[in-house]
Amino acid sequence: MKPLQVVVFYCVNCVDVNALRLECREQGMTAATFVSLPCSGKVNLLYLLKAVENGADGVFLLTCPKQACRFLEGSSRAENRVRAVDDLLDETGLGKGHIRVLQIQDRDSAGLSVTEMVHHLEGITAGADQTA
Amino acid sequence: MIVAQRKTIPELVDILKDHKRILVMGCGTCVTVCLAGGEREVSILSSALRIAARVRDIDFEIEELTIERQCDNVFIETAAEAVERNDAVLSLGCGAGVQALAERFMKKPVYAGLDTAFLGILEERGVWTEKCAACGSCVVHNYGGLCPVTRCAKHMLNGPCGGSREDRCEVRPDRPCVWQLIFQRLKGIGQLDRLTRMAPPKNWEPALDGGCRVIVREDHRI
Repeated sequence: MKPLQVVVFYCVNCVDVNALRLECREQGMTAATFVSLPCSGKVNLLYLLKAVENGADGVFLLTCPKQACRFLEGSSRAENRVRAVDDLLDETGLGKGHIRVLQIQDRDSAGLSVTEMVHHLEGITAGADQTA
Repeated sequence: MIVAQRKTIPELVDILKDHKRILVMGCGTCVTVCLAGGEREVSILSSALRIAARVRDIDFEIEELTIERQCDNVFIETAAEAVERNDAVLSLGCGAGVQALAERFMKKPVYAGLDTAFLGILEERGVWTEKCAACGSCVVHNYGGLCPVTRCAKHMLNGPCGGSREDRCEVRPDRPCVWQLIFQRLKGIGQLDRLTRMAPPKNWEPALDGGCRVIVREDHRI
């Protein structure tokens, strides 16, 4: 089976990307692309939408916890933008759930976030199978 | 500025479904400021339309372009080539911009991608409110600079209506009663006596009720 295409946007302040890459590979998420952001609040609706337009099955945005954002509002902004894109994707007919925010509690919890991503992708696949 | 908002994707797909090559055209003026039809919104909408087309198995080829002002022929001219190579234009300009494009490109279908809503201002981040109804004969000088024609739900020129609760409008409790604001404003600038004068019935002839309005400035005509 073709691996699911995944794009992971991450805030450099909360994610150790090498650990994240390794964890993704170990958990079978082999077709993942990683995009670093100086703060998750830098993410733009267009970045997220383009990822889906270019074929991503799932898009994840890894942010710091809201109260720990060093730019104060970044994580909150990121969450609002993801919600806006999720609504827009629903309007397009693709449905909700292809994009998700994950708050990273600390830099060592990459494994947990990848597990959550894998579970989420399984949900997307199951939904697509039911639709088909 | 003119405030507008995007039509929904299903509406737009339905409008565009008979065309293949579509030019999504933004406007760099009011609708850019109200985050509805600028360069970024053109990209976002185009991307969403491509996804919608893929989901619905429709063949859309979308080109993106944003010009400085859609309501000005000088700028519209810069889009002529792009319009020519597409089957239809989806304008993200206000109603004036859509019509200016339609009148310039007589043989090309031009569609509105936005619903033009009102003349307003950015009140806080992400919130725009209506401030002017473009009624053609401004009376705000009598009301401390605030417009009861636009901002009073009952358009009262001799208010308040008496229905407000605290300082909230009884029709729209989420909005302040403009007559409360007018009172505070006139009190602040020492012009409360203005409220003792009865405003005569407003002349609505310069408003839209008199048909499409035209202003002619002979001093600017050749």
